[in-house]
Amino acid sequence: MLALNYALAGLGLGAIAALSGVGILLTYRATGVFNVAHGAIAMIAAYLFWQLTDQWGVPVWIAAALVLLVFAPGLGIALERVVFRPLHRRSATAAESLVATIGLLVLLVGIAYVVWGAQARHPASLFSQRVLHPGSLTVHLDSVADLAVVVVGTLLLGLALRLTPLGTQIRAVVDRRDLAQLSGVDADRVAAVGWVIGCVFAALTGILIASQISLDPFGLTLVVLETFAMPVIAGLTSIPVAIGAGIALGLGQSQMNLWAPSNAQLLSVWNALHANLPIVMLLVALLVRSRLAEAGGDAGSAVTFARRRATEPSVRRMAAQYAVAAVAMLVPLTFGDVALRQAQQIPALAIIFISIVAVTGYSGQISLGQAGYAGLGALFFGKVSTSTPQLVALLVAVLAAGIVGFLTGYPAIRRRGLFLALTTFAVGAFVSRFVFSQPSFTDNVNVQRPSLFGLSLRGDHAFYLFELSMLAIAFLVMFNLRNGALGRSLVAIRDSEEGASSVGVDVRVLKVLIFTVSAMLAGLGGALLVQQGQSFEATTFDPLAASLPWFAVVVVFGADSAAAAVVGAAFIVLVNGLTGQDNAYLIPVGLLAAFLGRLPGGAAELGRLLAEWLTTPTALLRRYQAAVPPPPPAPVLSARGRAALDRVRSLREARQQEATPS
Amino acid sequence: MIELSLRGMRAGYGAVEVLHGLDLDVPSGGLTALLGPNGAGKSTLLSVVAGLLPLRGGSMTWSGTDLAAMPPDARARAGMLLIPERRGIFATMSVRDNLEVFAGRGADLDPALLAFPVLAERLTQLAGSLSGGEQQMLAMSRALLRDTRLLLLDEISFGLAPRVTRQLFDVVRDLALAGTTVVLVEQHLSHALRMADLVYVLARGELAFAGEPGELRGRALPGYVSRAATS
Repeated sequence: MLALNYALAGLGLGAIAALSGVGILLTYRATGVFNVAHGAIAMIAAYLFWQLTDQWGVPVWIAAALVLLVFAPGLGIALERVVFRPLHRRSATAAESLVATIGLLVLLVGIAYVVWGAQARHPASLFSQRVLHPGSLTVHLDSVADLAVVVVGTLLLGLALRLTPLGTQIRAVVDRRDLAQLSGVDADRVAAVGWVIGCVFAALTGILIASQISLDPFGLTLVVLETFAMPVIAGLTSIPVAIGAGIALGLGQSQMNLWAPSNAQLLSVWNALHANLPIVMLLVALLVRSRLAEAGGDAGSAVTFARRRATEPSVRRMAAQYAVAAVAMLVPLTFGDVALRQAQQIPALAIIFISIVAVTGYSGQISLGQAGYAGLGALFFGKVSTSTPQLVALLVAVLAAGIVGFLTGYPAIRRRGLFLALTTFAVGAFVSRFVFSQPSFTDNVNVQRPSLFGLSLRGDHAFYLFELSMLAIAFLVMFNLRNGALGRSLVAIRDSEEGASSVGVDVRVLKVLIFTVSAMLAGLGGALLVQQGQSFEATTFDPLAASLPWFAVVVVFGADSAAAAVVGAAFIVLVNGLTGQDNAYLIPVGLLAAFLGRLPGGAAELGRLLAEWLTTPTALLRRYQAAVPPPPPAPVLSARGRAALDRVRSLREARQQEATPS
Repeated sequence: MIELSLRGMRAGYGAVEVLHGLDLDVPSGGLTALLGPNGAGKSTLLSVVAGLLPLRGGSMTWSGTDLAAMPPDARARAGMLLIPERRGIFATMSVRDNLEVFAGRGADLDPALLAFPVLAERLTQLAGSLSGGEQQMLAMSRALLRDTRLLLLDEISFGLAPRVTRQLFDVVRDLALAGTTVVLVEQHLSHALRMADLVYVLARGELAFAGEPGELRGRALPGYVSRAATS
């Protein structure tokens, strides 16, 4: 009877996981985009619901109807119109759409954080939270209702799509948009329907989940991100399998309570496993699978947003730019204590961003788990430096992060695009949950600033200079990755893995190499980051609060350039410093990433447009005038065309005369 | 009379302009062949006419209506059909679903299945798993499932066995005889010249020749080896 009661309790968790997982899968099938922002849309919808019911006193069911039938469809239509349609118009790759959803996630989380703060809220429940006790059982009514909503909702939707041409049209647009249009399908409208379906499901998920767990910008979003496991287990295709996986997760989690070991050491591992079962399931599912049924075939790599410049800039110009940049980096030394301490974050963050440039910009691999390596570098440094000199500890930390990068680079050999993005995200989340959040690892950590042969670098000025020297080393590494035979091979892999291997580039070795080097750089940056703050916080290296926004920053500022990574780091620190809010930078960065379709050049393009506009407003005017085509000339037949037509006409008349018996 | 009229047509991809002010007329009914070496701009021209690429300059009218402002799906519903180069099919959908998207749901699929009986045996199979020839037949069957006034064919014989090619061209001929205007971009000069009423030759985005197929015999086409033109 106890087992049955646990199972019933697990049903509630399972219903949540199933609902959220099915929503992601449905959106994917209806739009062809793996919507990383699904959780953020759910979170925003839940906040709106809370605002309506809790703050403005709107009745629960009216508030739910407003969110589900007005807000969510409106958001879906808006997303299709302003975010995804421009991407399709540019025939963007699936990787670019993925980045746009990451941007959307970052933007929505940033907005929620600024508007509602980090404080946890407790929205009302849509269903009765009564507990029934038939016999000796315990049944939570709301979890049964949640489960019913998932099953009935997906059944109805599935039936509607099967019985109307819309379902086939949606699949046609997802498969090949151009061909669907050539077949007379209004692809824009069909795509909008897909996004409306996706957003309504996300909003429903948000409202139902928020009443079971508490609501805060990061927490609820992360819970939904963790249910990536369900669509992955379903191979991105089968909705029943996704529902089943969700329920299995809930039941598994509740049964684990029964089998908890008595050994204290084992128990802590068991508890971590229990709390983070979705992440374990996601990682295992991703590692076991050899491929995912990606919509429209191959998702492609990160090529398009990594290649911005048409030509290489001249050496002299680059030297001049670097000289100016180097001087600019020394300016913070003249700042007061507070500003200098903030500026110290720039080189540390820049090195982490450079590690993303190495893996994504230089070799085209999407890595969404970079904060994991950075955190490992920080943690190794903190552990080792309790017993060895800090500089040695730093070296050990970098090497250790490199070893982890080497091991995790191994699965990357056969993965790319969305599959690789999900795998790296899962690795980052796994490390965050099983290492950074476990007191047994983070206790007794010493993150003092180093000293160099007896010369202390603890002072703010000395430490900043030390950071700059580390940044210079990172640039040296990047220079070597970019140039010579190695650089060419990496670019070849970025442009086409098949093409590269056909000319003798060992793709496997190079992929592992780039992951290793990138992890080492991230580890270095992470170690510097904790030395700067002089404490280790798990949230600094969180997959949602760090990995995803950091990736967006790098893409927005120029995935192809180490210098752009430094600018991105400076931008974050500047925005946060000016607004006095830790996550204020999420909004501009999220906006730029979400609007990748309109501004493929990211921050640099925006800057260029602004500068152009500020210096010569007429230049902008001319640009628009040039875009308007001149009026078409009247259709007159050319002499050549007329002659040809006349010949055809006489030919046809002659044939007709032949054909009609006289 | 004149089905399709292009005046001063400019088009291209990104910074590259492929068509530099092209004048071209396609008469109603009959078959117009568009020839020229690789990179001449034939496929670009068809893409612009079908609406997949924007017109960058000049004008484009179809039976008197200005095409420039018409979205591609509206052109398709009005009876224009482009069979694009290579796999013009939805690879992740079944053959039946492909046909249904082509025809509109519940429409009669018989015309396609009669012309290409092999498709009837493959209805539940994923289109991407068909052979190259079968995929092209599936793509071609779109022309049979809709009222097509203007059929644009982009190298339908590309990489196919002669027998399949013949089968496809039989369908094209039947459609042309039934009154559909056909514009044919083709590498197989012999097929194109045998069937065409009017031939245009493009070279580097400009018109290099316009006339009857017979006039081309014995002439060196720009960009072609002369043997091909005379065969």
